[in-house]
Amino acid sequence: MGRKGKIFAAVAGAALVAGIAVTAAFGAHHATPGITATEIKIGGTFPLTGAASLYKTIPAAEKAYFDYVNDHGGVNGRKINFEILDDGYDPSRTVPAATQLVEKDGVFAVFGSLGTAPTLATWGYLNSHKVPQVLVATGDSYWGFSRKKYPWTIGWQPDYPGEAKVYGRYIAAKIPNAKIGVLFQNDAYGKNYYAGLRVGLGEAKAKIVDAESYDATNPSVQQQIIALRSKGADTLVVFATPVPTITALATAKAVGWTPTTTFINNVSANRLFMLSAASKGANVDGVISTTYTASSTTQKDLPGVKLAQALVNQYAPSLQTSFAAGDGNIIYGFGVAWTFVYALQHSGKNPTRASLMAALHNLNTSKNPFVYPGIKLQTSAKDNFPIEQEIMIKWAGGGTGDWQPVGKLLNGIR
Amino acid sequence: MKYAVIAIAAVAVALLPFGLSGYHQGLAVYVAIYFIAILGLNILTGYTGQISIGHGAFMAIGGYVTVIMSHDHHTNLIATLPVSFAITFACGVLVGIPALRLSGVYLALATFALAVSVPQLPLKFSKFLGGSNGLQTDHAVSHIWLYGVSWSCAAILFLVGWLLLRGRIGRAFRAIRDSEVAAASSGVALPIYKTFAFGVSAAFAGVAGSLFVLATNGFAQPNEFAVLLSLKILIGAAVAGLGSLWGVAVGALFIGLLPEFSASVPIIGSSHGEDVVFGLIVILVMLLLPNGFAGLLARLESSFKTAIKSDPQAS
Repeated sequence: MGRKGKIFAAVAGAALVAGIAVTAAFGAHHATPGITATEIKIGGTFPLTGAASLYKTIPAAEKAYFDYVNDHGGVNGRKINFEILDDGYDPSRTVPAATQLVEKDGVFAVFGSLGTAPTLATWGYLNSHKVPQVLVATGDSYWGFSRKKYPWTIGWQPDYPGEAKVYGRYIAAKIPNAKIGVLFQNDAYGKNYYAGLRVGLGEAKAKIVDAESYDATNPSVQQQIIALRSKGADTLVVFATPVPTITALATAKAVGWTPTTTFINNVSANRLFMLSAASKGANVDGVISTTYTASSTTQKDLPGVKLAQALVNQYAPSLQTSFAAGDGNIIYGFGVAWTFVYALQHSGKNPTRASLMAALHNLNTSKNPFVYPGIKLQTSAKDNFPIEQEIMIKWAGGGTGDWQPVGKLLNGIR
Repeated sequence: MKYAVIAIAAVAVALLPFGLSGYHQGLAVYVAIYFIAILGLNILTGYTGQISIGHGAFMAIGGYVTVIMSHDHHTNLIATLPVSFAITFACGVLVGIPALRLSGVYLALATFALAVSVPQLPLKFSKFLGGSNGLQTDHAVSHIWLYGVSWSCAAILFLVGWLLLRGRIGRAFRAIRDSEVAAASSGVALPIYKTFAFGVSAAFAGVAGSLFVLATNGFAQPNEFAVLLSLKILIGAAVAGLGSLWGVAVGALFIGLLPEFSASVPIIGSSHGEDVVFGLIVILVMLLLPNGFAGLLARLESSFKTAIKSDPQAS
């Protein structure tokens, strides 16, 4: 290369470097990803296929709610674009899906993702990238306790141990001579419930005559039910996922055992599961659980339920049948979506990821129409659990019956 | 000629990540993982003729070895890979011993039982193995780190596989595949070579499983190792072409990149698009390319050679 050539190369090289530096300097002005003047892009991972696919009505309901909000002008003029990805409840699919949402689709926030294991698989990644992981659909209490380490993650529903404390306190107060038999899943899910029950019982935990566990791999709980009966339990508490719960109720009847009171956890208390248990011969009348959402079947006069019915009719007609049958997941989805829109409305005219989290960490509203009347969504620096109230419900009406509320709304379940 | 292709491919793979986004680097990692797993399965099924629909189980074992070592003992992540290799090798040999008595459909069923049952073990021993909430390594790794490690492992294990298969052991494997009776009468000690094949194959799957867990943000949980994983590896091996190493990359690309492309399947959409496209392509490959991609390569190569021979200018 001649002398002129070398000078040319040097100048070109310098210009290139300068150009890169300038671009980098301008690029350093980080616009919030996922937000434009007209759109807010969010995404979530849900089990649309696979064993947990019965929960796919949740994202369908959430999308319907966002469509409704978009038709009414969106949030500060921005329409919500909700991307629903299928992870089949498999964390090895959740991780690439979350990576896709953040790095390829550039979402503003990861919303409503379902499942404890999928959330645990992704919260490190999302928090290290400072991406909001909000209103996750799982009742484990990790999300409420981990604000320091994972400040970008927050849940929504009342946590399982808190719910179990409700049962404990109820038994201690209302069933003084109970002989309590507990059936729980032999892993963190079931053990956290059981620990919460013991806290709620207080001194009455001495009344636990037997606690039997079953493996998630083997939902046939016949041996455990027989063992609980043989130890003289007359109050049965079942902390299980839907299938083993239905099996436990049916098995109790089949072996001729009628506990005076049976408690099941809220996760397994969807009306559809109770109907299934009844059809398998279980004694469903008198079974007690808790709820925190309005009921599409027994509370049809509530403004929230009427709105939900209208939303289903207009924006998600495929959900009409399950809504009419009392699938609580649909109102759950509306409730979560409402909360997200509320938080967005309180994130300022031009929301950023930080302002969204600030809004979610400072909730204080009773206006959510889809939760049980009287429930307030409340969070603060010391409280990272948006919902901490539940009401007890009792089943009546056998194979065509429904849940009826018992007593008053319980506050501060934790 | 082949070596030139390999050299070019190696350079391309080494330089590729710098041109890719983090998301695409992640995809490339999965291709490397499936490459290793398919390679291992090919050694067992393609070269030794023992079918296995259970390699997801070995991946699970390898994955959990890495996670437990990292979570409980804070072992360096790369150091867990040889341990994973060794432990799954031993497991593979243990499985290979009863497998000596089985063949064909019965061996497939036995390995299928493994694929179904092994990933359930963490649910049973949830205290030690994390249960349904899974276990996490003590720290996460970046896409590019994982890309480098996984493709380095792929290259190393490819070399190991190639050296193994071109020598006496490889000949013994092929002899066993073609006819066990003939192999035995030629002095090939069937039990030793068959269990060794199982061991090596499982060891490859174990390393793939360790990398698989690392690619899942270092999180190991039973749902990650469902039966479909074992089937995917087998299908990847079939698409690659059983009995040849060269098609393995195509099989891995197919399995690794399929979810990406099938998400935009028209009409069916993303929720079932992957399954439909998967099934369609498998059927097409079985109909049109029964020897997989390697068979296609062999045919192309032979027709290329014939073309050269018949070309008067070529000599």
